[in-house]
Amino acid sequence: MNAGPALIMEGVCKRFNGLRALSSVDLQIEPGEIVVLLGANGAGKTTLMSIAAALSRPDSGTVWVDGVNMLKQPSRGQRRLGIATQQTGVYPTLSVRDNLRFFGELAGLRRGVLDRRLEEVADAFDLIDMLDRPTRLLSVGQARRLHTAMILLHPPPLLLLDEPTAGVDVATRARMLELVGNLAADGSAICYSSHYLMEVDQLEANVAIIHGGRIIARGSPEALISTHGQSAVELRFSGAPPSLSDIGFVQTSGTTMRVAIDHEPELDIAGILATLGASAKHLQGVKLIQPDLESVFRSLTEQQVLRRNHDELEVYGGLRS
Amino acid sequence: MVFGRSLAIARQDWRVLRRDPFPVIVLVVLPLLLIPFLKPAFRLAFVAEHVRDTAGVEQAVPAMDVTFAFFLVGISSMAFFREHAWRTWDRLRASPATTYEIIVGKITLPLLQAAGQFILVFGLGGTLLGLTVHGSWADLAIVGAAYSLYLVAMGLTVTAICKTYVQANAVTNVGALFLAGLGGALVPHAFLPGWAQSISPAVPSYWAIRGYRAAILGHGDVLPSVVVLLAFAGVFILVAALCFRLDGTKVAWA
Repeated sequence: MNAGPALIMEGVCKRFNGLRALSSVDLQIEPGEIVVLLGANGAGKTTLMSIAAALSRPDSGTVWVDGVNMLKQPSRGQRRLGIATQQTGVYPTLSVRDNLRFFGELAGLRRGVLDRRLEEVADAFDLIDMLDRPTRLLSVGQARRLHTAMILLHPPPLLLLDEPTAGVDVATRARMLELVGNLAADGSAICYSSHYLMEVDQLEANVAIIHGGRIIARGSPEALISTHGQSAVELRFSGAPPSLSDIGFVQTSGTTMRVAIDHEPELDIAGILATLGASAKHLQGVKLIQPDLESVFRSLTEQQVLRRNHDELEVYGGLRS
Repeated sequence: MVFGRSLAIARQDWRVLRRDPFPVIVLVVLPLLLIPFLKPAFRLAFVAEHVRDTAGVEQAVPAMDVTFAFFLVGISSMAFFREHAWRTWDRLRASPATTYEIIVGKITLPLLQAAGQFILVFGLGGTLLGLTVHGSWADLAIVGAAYSLYLVAMGLTVTAICKTYVQANAVTNVGALFLAGLGGALVPHAFLPGWAQSISPAVPSYWAIRGYRAAILGHGDVLPSVVVLLAFAGVFILVAALCFRLDGTKVAWA
């Protein structure tokens, strides 16, 4: 095993039919680290993982897995990673045992070692009682567990898990998160994509927010909140909120108004209330909203949309003039 | 380890086939059922060609083997398409198996199926239908091996070119009948129209039947047939190598 990062992606770009899928992506994952890729559908998470696994070639940039250049030696690098793709891929006419056995054989395991390892993995994923069941008879959650278990007959230095808990029940999700945590504790580097923010906390993972094919923020949840988070005050009125100016970023929705505030909430709240003037008599409630990962995610991705729209408007304005 | 991974892939395909061997069984049973109906026509063809001491089975058996073996093109193509349907193709690509190992693994079972069909059709044809090999069983097997290689190469090309299994299936079904007909497998070559007789050497099935006849009747040399069949295999392997895209998207069921 290489002593350096398990995954290094530098300047990775990818286009599909002229559409940008990834743009100058830089990502590094250390052994034992879990990085959760957070992003909306179409943000580029699956494309990033496909390129890391050498299932797709980038248009530019470099990819290294456990010290192996994936563009020059993809097969050698693929022996150092395992990928559980977004869509469940199992052999439905074969048993759970045959599905696991096949990937164990591909990983180079034989006979007694394979049998022992197969049972260990099946036990860890609660599949031990259904080893001889055809996979077409498994539930969604069971098939999803098998789908992930198949790459763990011989745990590699890098694991790429693309939405592994999609469509599974609460108990299965908890079990899989526990297993992922154990794998990281054993030294595997894990790149994990998800829509579920609570999984970040449960995995005690670092975060990479991906939007429009770019990684727009990276770090621990605490660091991201500290750097990008913004507190807000939510004011609820009996009718439509009044129109206020000079108090910063304001969002209104129905009878509520949310005002972004800086680092001294008491002073900011007092200032906002003073600005209300006569409208204060219509105020029904005041709530302080502390920043969390969700608000950071939404704020960062909305800023990206605004920035892109602004750039497009500038170009359009230039063409018109 | 190189052969180990290819063997693992072939073994996995065998596990899948074992669960549903019906298509392969049909490819052995149907020819044996049709041979008795075709014997008289092929006997007349031998008479027309002044070939003595024949019962017609000497061509009916190879004709049906050549015709039905072609359906293995679709079966070998299915080995790839079902991986896409089951979402296991990218798993296989991302596994420690190299491209070469995957391809070798995937063509191993179709090659064995072709060999098995050859043994059963000719073996049972001999036992049940009175086929006598006046030439050499070894020559017969060599022609069979060359034809099998061509079929597998054709299967790889069909997989490379077709985007959906419906396309692959259509090519296989139409190809089987067209190539068998033009090669003299459905209608004896001697009874084909003049224009068909003149172009039939352009199709591999003609050379397969010609080689089988030479081995069975003990007349002529199988070498030209073997060389031509291997040349066809080489051409299709080249086309497959140029057109095959591992990251290509395939649709299995539409």
